[in-house]
Amino acid sequence: MTRSRIDLQDLLFGLFLVAVATGTLVATRNLTVGHAADMGPGYMPRVVALALMAFGLFFSGRGLWRAGRGIAPVQLRPLLAILASVGVFALTAERLGLAITSVAAVILASFATREGRLVETVAFAIVLSGAAVLLFVKLLGLPIPIWPR
Amino acid sequence: MELFDNLLMGLSTAVQLNNLLFCLIGVVIGTAIGVLPGIGPIPTVALLLPFTFGLSPASAMIMLAGIFYGAQYGGSTTAILVNVPGETSSVVTCIDGHEMAKQGRAGTALAIAAIASFFAGTMATIVIAVLSVPLSVLALKFTAVEYFSLLVLGLIAAVVLAHGSVAKSLAMVLLGLLLGLVGIDVSSGVARMTFGIPALSDGLDFVPIAMGLFGLGEIIANLERPAERRVVSQSIRSLIPSWEDLRGAFPAVVRGTALGSVLGVLPGGGAALPPFSSYALEKKLARDPSRFGKGAIEGVAGPEAANNAGAQTSFIPLLTLGIPANALMALMIGALMMQGIQPGPQIMTEQPKLVWGVIASMWVGNLMLLIINLPLIGLWVSMLKIPYRLLFPAIVLFCCIGTYGIANGLFNVWLMMGCAMIGYFFIKIGVEPAPLLLGLVLGPQLEENFRRAMLIADGDFTVFLSRPISAVILAVVAALLLAMLSPAILRTRKEALAE
Repeated sequence: MTRSRIDLQDLLFGLFLVAVATGTLVATRNLTVGHAADMGPGYMPRVVALALMAFGLFFSGRGLWRAGRGIAPVQLRPLLAILASVGVFALTAERLGLAITSVAAVILASFATREGRLVETVAFAIVLSGAAVLLFVKLLGLPIPIWPR
Repeated sequence: MELFDNLLMGLSTAVQLNNLLFCLIGVVIGTAIGVLPGIGPIPTVALLLPFTFGLSPASAMIMLAGIFYGAQYGGSTTAILVNVPGETSSVVTCIDGHEMAKQGRAGTALAIAAIASFFAGTMATIVIAVLSVPLSVLALKFTAVEYFSLLVLGLIAAVVLAHGSVAKSLAMVLLGLLLGLVGIDVSSGVARMTFGIPALSDGLDFVPIAMGLFGLGEIIANLERPAERRVVSQSIRSLIPSWEDLRGAFPAVVRGTALGSVLGVLPGGGAALPPFSSYALEKKLARDPSRFGKGAIEGVAGPEAANNAGAQTSFIPLLTLGIPANALMALMIGALMMQGIQPGPQIMTEQPKLVWGVIASMWVGNLMLLIINLPLIGLWVSMLKIPYRLLFPAIVLFCCIGTYGIANGLFNVWLMMGCAMIGYFFIKIGVEPAPLLLGLVLGPQLEENFRRAMLIADGDFTVFLSRPISAVILAVVAALLLAMLSPAILRTRKEALAE
């Protein structure tokens, strides 16, 4: 972990909270707030959002003000491979069916590391796909198509 | 004796054939989770929640509880043989346990760990049974005002006692509360923060959030630092510890159990804090502290007893008050809510069969663990040889299918993907996600009780201080927060949590 002149960890967390709080305040702008004895639906979200805003500003400020730890470099390979695997599952599961989607998701996920060997991965993916269909669709009755429809 | 009647009633639930089966499934899966580094009990319990919908509430809880304390047993195997903690709670076991394995005493270390865990599990079951009744009697006096204060105490204490920065954890609790508010407002029927997405009108499911934050986020971060595992398995010769070993370990087991039982009840304690404290205590009491780190048997026995006792007594707040002590217990609460059981102070009086069944099953489960862990140790060792490159794609796939199964829809899969990204971001910036899950699960109850309390008191905030029980609870909250600001305590806390 590298040292840096500002505390990047604090700053990023602070900015993240400010963004969430702002988003909440915008999303709930039309809700009735009411008052303590008779709270409207907007009361709690706004109170929590304002508190989050305060925390966010505090962390951002502290991050800028004091020196601290930097961030370990982001490695794109695992991040993208795992997200792509989940994304492909979400995009294709209901259209292509569980059998094909599972194979695709497992192969994509295995790209997250360089250790994988293609033949081994494909064989493993097909076995897993079969196991998933048996377990989730046949045994547990998950209403998801097995094959493309 | 009411206690024995209750335990007998619980035992009759626990030994029903299907409950025995689910207990066995739970502890076996739990052991596997514990043995395999790289996936923790939180995503596992989240993953298995959808499967429990069809079960009775008691069977579901028995199985999920089995996973939790089973993971504590399994974690020690990896710690001793590979020097990698399968679970955070077995970090300490690595120190002396792996040293013993290197000296050719792996079998003794494994046996002592299992026996210590079993002893601790048995004692903790008794502690739970004894404490449950008075606590639930007290809890029945609670109205919305007291319950709100109690929820605040649960959240704050969990934050203060857990790892990481207190300020950041508080912010994470608030974030969780905010996520918990998404959905249709119960009293007005207005949609809040749903962005017009129909899947959000019932609120955010916590399972995809837990799987994304704890499961996938963790996997992505794990893959960035490739770790090699070297198994010291050839050295398991005898699993029967010598008389001398047992005599050396026994006092440590007793102290570890006592310490773990106390720390486990505290919110936020769960299974992480007790082993560290027990190790420190044993080292302090030892006649020759220099033996520690070089294969001292007390360094395995004490922490193993403490973590198992703590894992079990952390069920006390859940079973008597309906308040989770840590993120995992929050998932358990979620499991109960999905079964249509409203957790709260009335849970023991309304669901005695469930509560006592779970308590009794813990002892049954511990007995099973002793049996599956010692004779079957070879099987678990061979599981350690499954390479991570095959393990993690399987976990990703099962997470996808599991989240799909919660609402039979793809929205949750997308939600999990978003949470995986956020979880990875949290790991990068060094923020602990557990408080978020607590906030998320307790959020709706917190709001409901707050609104009801305000309605009773006509908007007068002082009601929380004018009622005695609530005032005492809030005073404890204030004391906890003040204590956190004191530099002396900050230092000891850092030492206690340091690895």
